[in-house]
Amino acid sequence: MLFNSLTFVVFFIIVVSVYWTLKSWNARKNLLLVASYIFYGAWNPPFALLLFATSALDFYLGARIAAAVEPRLRKAWTTASVVVNLSMLGFFKYGNFLLENFQWLLAQAGIMYQPPHLNIFLPIGISFYTFHSLSYTLDVYRGVAQPTKSLRDFVLAVSFFPQLVAGPIVRAADFLPQCVAPPAPRAGRFIWGLLLMTFGLFQKTVLADTMLSGSADTIFNYPGPLNTLDAWMGVLAFSGQIFFDFAGYSTCAIGAALCLGFELRDNFRFPYAAIGFSDFWRRWHISLSTFLRDFLYIPLGGNRSGPARAAVNLIIVMFLGGLWHGAAWTFVVWGLIHGVLLVIERVCRAIFKDAAWTVSLGVQVLIALVTYVAVCFTWVFFRAGDFATAARLVRAMVGFFPNGEAILTTREILQVAIVSAGLLLAHWLMRNTTIEAVVSRTPRWLVTALWAVMLFAIILNQGSGSAFIYFQF
Amino acid sequence: MAFVPFDFKRTIPDHSWRGILISVVLLTAGATIAWELYARSASYRPTLNDTSDLWAQARERVKPDSIVIIGDSRALFDMDLAVLEQGLGSRPVQLALAGSCAYPVLADLAADERFRGTVICGIVPRMFFAPGGPLVEASEKALKRYRSWTPAQRVSHQLGMLAEERFAFLKERDLTLAKLLEKLPIPNRTALPPPRIPPPYFQTTERDRRTRMVEECVRPGALQTRIKEGWLPLFTPPPPPSYVPKEKFLAGVGKAIEARFGDTAAAVEKIRARGGKVVFVRFPMTGKLKELEDQATPRVGPWTRLLKDTGAPGIYFEDYPELAGFDCPEWSHLSGPDSVEFTRRLVPYLKTALAGKESVK
Repeated sequence: MLFNSLTFVVFFIIVVSVYWTLKSWNARKNLLLVASYIFYGAWNPPFALLLFATSALDFYLGARIAAAVEPRLRKAWTTASVVVNLSMLGFFKYGNFLLENFQWLLAQAGIMYQPPHLNIFLPIGISFYTFHSLSYTLDVYRGVAQPTKSLRDFVLAVSFFPQLVAGPIVRAADFLPQCVAPPAPRAGRFIWGLLLMTFGLFQKTVLADTMLSGSADTIFNYPGPLNTLDAWMGVLAFSGQIFFDFAGYSTCAIGAALCLGFELRDNFRFPYAAIGFSDFWRRWHISLSTFLRDFLYIPLGGNRSGPARAAVNLIIVMFLGGLWHGAAWTFVVWGLIHGVLLVIERVCRAIFKDAAWTVSLGVQVLIALVTYVAVCFTWVFFRAGDFATAARLVRAMVGFFPNGEAILTTREILQVAIVSAGLLLAHWLMRNTTIEAVVSRTPRWLVTALWAVMLFAIILNQGSGSAFIYFQF
Repeated sequence: MAFVPFDFKRTIPDHSWRGILISVVLLTAGATIAWELYARSASYRPTLNDTSDLWAQARERVKPDSIVIIGDSRALFDMDLAVLEQGLGSRPVQLALAGSCAYPVLADLAADERFRGTVICGIVPRMFFAPGGPLVEASEKALKRYRSWTPAQRVSHQLGMLAEERFAFLKERDLTLAKLLEKLPIPNRTALPPPRIPPPYFQTTERDRRTRMVEECVRPGALQTRIKEGWLPLFTPPPPPSYVPKEKFLAGVGKAIEARFGDTAAAVEKIRARGGKVVFVRFPMTGKLKELEDQATPRVGPWTRLLKDTGAPGIYFEDYPELAGFDCPEWSHLSGPDSVEFTRRLVPYLKTALAGKESVK
């Protein structure tokens, strides 16, 4: 079920109405559990079983980890959880990818092997809910979370519909404590949740789908050489589209959870105003980067074993982070480029750590611009279906085709330019604050007017939006 | 590592939120009512959008022995389902799709092992033999929706139909924000060819996809002129892309068209082998559009070859005085009343064709 669908509007109204009518906290949680499975099953009912199986298994393993006294046994149960979860993810998401690469490797050795094509259907949101569930056993193992005794609460933590299919990756350790006592009904929180949902949908349907996606699709699907302006406009369009699409989903999720009295952490913090790549990853898909930091980078040794080892660890983390996004080498390259950029940034920081000029406003703005431009280049690999397309586009961006084709209309260029400029300005102005702080300072009439404009624009859009990009991950 | 209790709390901005919510609801409702009134004043009326969902719903109604209409917008506008039901004994399923190439749908029916019914296939050669691009994508998009139609999408479709039958402003092709932006009078870059803009939504669509031209288009006027003017660039082949040598491109197109003849014959044969039938129909067109089509795709070209290669019967409107005298108000489609009369006159020829008699060419 998509947030930007009529089905969800009706579903949400029914769920929220019944939820706040029920007196019993257990009844409310039961309702949320049923609603979450309906939300997921409305896409493909049989895969709800897989979701339940993943959750039930991790609930059992979490209890085993907590009960185990010997460290060796704790580790064994944790390893079992990691292996089963990642195997499930690997089979559904990377099965065909692995087979194709195996076939290619054999071909390089002169062995012709035709593997059977596994007609594997990717369960929507499997990357997200696998991490929701896995975070529980890992946090229990680390002693950061206490195991829950309620299977219902844990299954709800994994499947809670606002964040189920496209994040944020809410850790069970953040969700389960909220299942202990019922939230008190508060009108302000509820209405603020509705405003956030409107804002999220506005970002997705109006800014991402209507203003930017057309130009991005046109440019990335064009098979010939492009001129520099069009190539840049297409990449800027995708850069804005993926932010508004994914941040829009996260904002909707946070808003929907608030309407039900649950609190989810921010997943984005104005990332296009990042000064440097480590800053970017503290602001972009925060729930994934903290997951990778806590469960991969730090266990690998982090930066405790010297700069060289830290650099290798960063590259490994970003390689796997890229692969998490999709079963294609273009995603891997996207991740690796980010890894290399992070390493370069560390080297620069080590060299210039005492230089006072690096903190002047001009230099900070310049670094932010360099960061944004570099991130845009990496998006080419993320969005392009293959390396030939990515190479053609990168060459066009650096002016390789002076006689390249102009294919975007003036209107499309204006749309991309205006929205991108607005996006960058907004991120820069908001980089050290929060949306809540800004709204608190904004006059009531302006909040009202902006909300009404966003809502009317969504209505004008007539539900013609597409699925969220991150659903495929 | 020590257990860390959860202490995260989201900040709720300090405002009188109840008042804001009430104001937002009133403002948005007011703006929506004003927009609805504007849409009605611009001659829009509540009717269904012909979406992939509506098509998928129709595709699901296809039974093994159904009569199915496929093709482009002419097969959609010019056939009256009630008259066909009376004449042929069962109500056809309307699967023709505006602005589409019908081949992917024909191939889908051929691949459907259950299907052994009758296919009435409207032919506009430039569309049916399109080697790829938006015309083929339109059919593939509808087929994709049918093949992967989720329960959530089905519910959204039902809710959407309830709204579309009540609000005139719900016009996907004309009045969405994206379409309104496209209409902004911004001069285009000189490097670009003139845009190929599809016509506005000039039809009423019912739940079984029976489609009729709106009255405003039947009468001479601004809408009719706009649609007429839109057909000529749409029916003129686009220039070859600059990144492929012209000869190579044209050779590729020629090869794709050849392949389409072969694929179509194979699809027809598959349906026939299961006991099904296929009949091709060329629907009326008039004015400059007819001149353009006759020049670009003369009858002795693709039409004759199609019938020869497939061995299927065909009905070309110009061959029969009863079918030839209709006027298409905007050169391409019949008005609602004329579509009823045309279908009534077409039925005997369809019966003859489906009976396998010689009189049909």
